[in-house]
Amino acid sequence: MSAPVRSWGRVLETRQAAGDTFWIEVDCPRIAAQARPGQFVMLGTGLGDVAAPFLPRPFSIGAREADGRLGFLVRVFGAGTRRLSAVNPGDELLILGPLGRSFSLPADRPIVCLAGGVGLAPFLFVGADARLEKRDVRIVYGERTGDRVFDPELIRRITGVEPDLRTEDGSLGRRGLVIDDLDLDDQPQLLACGPDPMLRACADLALRHGLPLQVSVEEHMGCGVGTCQGCVVLSAAGEWIKSCTEGPVFDARELA
Amino acid sequence: MTDLSQHLLGASFQSPVLLASGTCGYGEEYANLIPLDEIGGLVTKAVSLEPRPGNPPHRVAETPGGMINAIGLQNVGLDRFRSEKLPWLRNNLRAARVLINVVGHSAEDYGAVVSGLDSDDGFLGYEINVSCPNVKDGTLFGVDQQALSALVAGLRALTERPLVVKLTPNVPDIGVYARICEEAGADGLSTINTFPGMLIDVEGRRPVLGNVSGGVSGPAILPMGVYLTWRAAAAVSIPVMGIGGIRSGSDALQYILAGASLVQVGTALFVDPSAPVQVQAGIAEYMERHGIARVADLVGALTIPERE
Repeated sequence: MSAPVRSWGRVLETRQAAGDTFWIEVDCPRIAAQARPGQFVMLGTGLGDVAAPFLPRPFSIGAREADGRLGFLVRVFGAGTRRLSAVNPGDELLILGPLGRSFSLPADRPIVCLAGGVGLAPFLFVGADARLEKRDVRIVYGERTGDRVFDPELIRRITGVEPDLRTEDGSLGRRGLVIDDLDLDDQPQLLACGPDPMLRACADLALRHGLPLQVSVEEHMGCGVGTCQGCVVLSAAGEWIKSCTEGPVFDARELA
Repeated sequence: MTDLSQHLLGASFQSPVLLASGTCGYGEEYANLIPLDEIGGLVTKAVSLEPRPGNPPHRVAETPGGMINAIGLQNVGLDRFRSEKLPWLRNNLRAARVLINVVGHSAEDYGAVVSGLDSDDGFLGYEINVSCPNVKDGTLFGVDQQALSALVAGLRALTERPLVVKLTPNVPDIGVYARICEEAGADGLSTINTFPGMLIDVEGRRPVLGNVSGGVSGPAILPMGVYLTWRAAAAVSIPVMGIGGIRSGSDALQYILAGASLVQVGTALFVDPSAPVQVQAGIAEYMERHGIARVADLVGALTIPERE
């Protein structure tokens, strides 16, 4: 496992990627050098003031560039994410990472990413990485409504992959869910990240088709490094296990 | 030349800055991020006789100027602590002092943990946790004067090592509880544990925490911590460790001037793992600026102007 680094990173570029969703690029070569798809960082503003976000927030690494840039998908959920989404080029963010377990991608299967909402973030990195390695990767991306859809042009630019877009209201892409009408004949490795009910539906889908599934989970987090035990999820064995160090990526069979 | 060292609990601390229990695990988790052997020391995550599963999520959430947590003392239990966690502390820390936070459902539980650890190497003493707000009987001993006295006296009979009692802020007069601990044989006090609190998700009309309520920490509780440390330190002659919302040298100095001989940094670690080093540097800078040679000269050095 890589050793996490604490580093200030300078914001290089931000852009609005949907109504309440932003793409933020930060210069952080020491963390970028180690990062693997599926890992995350804690992103915060430091000890200088107590305005939200006082605690850093976990973000999947959405992109890693050769020049040391990291990209993050930030959607506004509350005061903390509102402030993080409003950073400007030149601002500094305190970054701790890379953290957690990455996806483990088998060489002999194509990859299908099932992304719900901000669960898209890790698959931008997965997509870009897989394409570099000339691997077959598909990104199925769903949102409730079209106005929340992360700019498809930006997805193409970051990953080189044309996303298979779904919205529940049908206002953009195909009407439906990420698990609807999938072509799984080539026995892909499934990866999923999104809300809990979606992950459960993906687990059912994987079971029905006999396909391997890795999920990336999200839980409130304190430290990000395994000390506070704040971010637990229930394991298949009925124990609370830490999503920060034992996850955030789990084989779906490890979880309840 | 400033001297940050403190001599108390039968040992020398190279700095008055320690890491608070529950925020630094068993040390190892932060080994790559904090120069642990360059600070005063650390207090481990609570150790109970049997492993504890902890509370359902959410376990943590941000609150204005701080956080609320209800972990529920999830820990590996005495046996695995001894075989898996203590060896790392023993083998990797030379100058930093280690206190083991001990918790139990009964006086017998506490006694079994202390007896089970006492002959091991790799730590200085115990911090007895009678003040966790997040488990059913967590503050049982912390708010019952007779039970507290009997618990501390019972543990005193079991060990020669330093016994520090971590007090709850949730009592009408912390000085009374501080004196009870001193009279029962405690060597020091830690003030304070978290404040009981609650956070509600108004959209869902549900408590945010899986445990419903939790303990509030962080800068929001700093003035309460300083006040209760001042009250406790005034009531006893044993050393006090100040805890609650410390994120700078100036915050730590408030506790020290109020009477704390050592301080513990907790929640600030989550914001920035360099917090303890920054706190230490801030204390040294203050001492240089004021021509103070030793930290001990600042302990309780508060002047309260006389009222007309």
